[in-house]
Amino acid sequence: MAALAVVLGLVLLTITRAGYVYWIHRKSVRRVARPSSTSTCAVSVFLGSGGHTTEALQLVAGLDGSRYNIRAFIFSAGDSLSVQRASSLSGSATQLIEIPRARRVHQPLSTVPRTFFLSLFGTIRLVVPRAGQTPLGDILLMNGPGTCVVLCACVWIARFVGWPTPRMVYVESFARVTSLSLSGKILSPFVDRFIVQWPQLASRSRFAEHRGWLI
Amino acid sequence: MSPRSAFLTVGATAPFDALLSAVLADDALRALRDKGYTRLEVQCGKTQLPDLVQVSSAPWHTQRQGVDISLWDFKPSLSEDIKRADLVISHAGSGTIVDVLRLGKALIVVPNTALLHNHQEEVARALHERRHLISCSVPDVARAIRDLDTSSLIPFPAFDGSEFQTILDEEMGFI
Repeated sequence: MAALAVVLGLVLLTITRAGYVYWIHRKSVRRVARPSSTSTCAVSVFLGSGGHTTEALQLVAGLDGSRYNIRAFIFSAGDSLSVQRASSLSGSATQLIEIPRARRVHQPLSTVPRTFFLSLFGTIRLVVPRAGQTPLGDILLMNGPGTCVVLCACVWIARFVGWPTPRMVYVESFARVTSLSLSGKILSPFVDRFIVQWPQLASRSRFAEHRGWLI
Repeated sequence: MSPRSAFLTVGATAPFDALLSAVLADDALRALRDKGYTRLEVQCGKTQLPDLVQVSSAPWHTQRQGVDISLWDFKPSLSEDIKRADLVISHAGSGTIVDVLRLGKALIVVPNTALLHNHQEEVARALHERRHLISCSVPDVARAIRDLDTSSLIPFPAFDGSEFQTILDEEMGFI
């Protein structure tokens, strides 16, 4: 009886905490303190391979380097091409971090939960703060596909625990004109900014913000 | 008319036999020649045609309908070939589309309808509606070449990183 009460209490606490963390996210109560104009922000970039990598690298290539520095490029296991292409934009302090894939190409959906959790366990170290810092920095940029859902889940675990987390910015691919990608659909309520590049997509999700062509 | 050159790319990931056959067909080649495109460079990828020799990375040359044709399968980067061309005919991969348009080349794209969940067809259609390129189906390639009026195409805007920087500035509280 007492054990049941403890379990029930824990479940209630968890739900309350999760609900509170998500409420804060939606209310955007967690405002970032205005930085001084000379301070720099650390950016981490998920490279999703192929066209995703091309677009992500293009986005960060246009950033003012005195304000934003790339702390980490994160890529899925086995995607050596993304690493090669990122190296030209990497500074000496830029980390290249490999994380396990959430889903391989053509992997049946029924086995995705297992690989998703394996990927989660392999990625969670990225949100654990050391000396108040994480490899993800102040901003995490994502543009799909699947494996970045794992990154977002890890950031939410950190928010649940109360660790410092990056602001998450998701930019839907230029190739998406009339329908959102699966990772876009999944992540839109959970990222801090959900940006689409075509006006037709702005009405597809109440979280979407249309900002024109960014690439 | 000074001789001009066209570049056909079918993409590296999926074969696109229908596009290769359509562009190498007599009516499309004649349309190219009549428009002054007397050179045709072809990146054929995994696509193999029965009446062509097995193409390897060494280019293979032929002449048909007054067009000098050169074929090869893959290169690490197509940007040099795109720069050399006056007209690019391409599959509808969005990366290639942006690369070609940023280099200011006239572009005819042909979506590969054999691919499942082909959202890239959407980009082709949307950019066609904005007159940045011509999008057509495989059977219409010859006509698209014949009807091509490069002066009616609207240049694609150059890359401008300032809007994305503004989004991050808003998010980080700089503005």
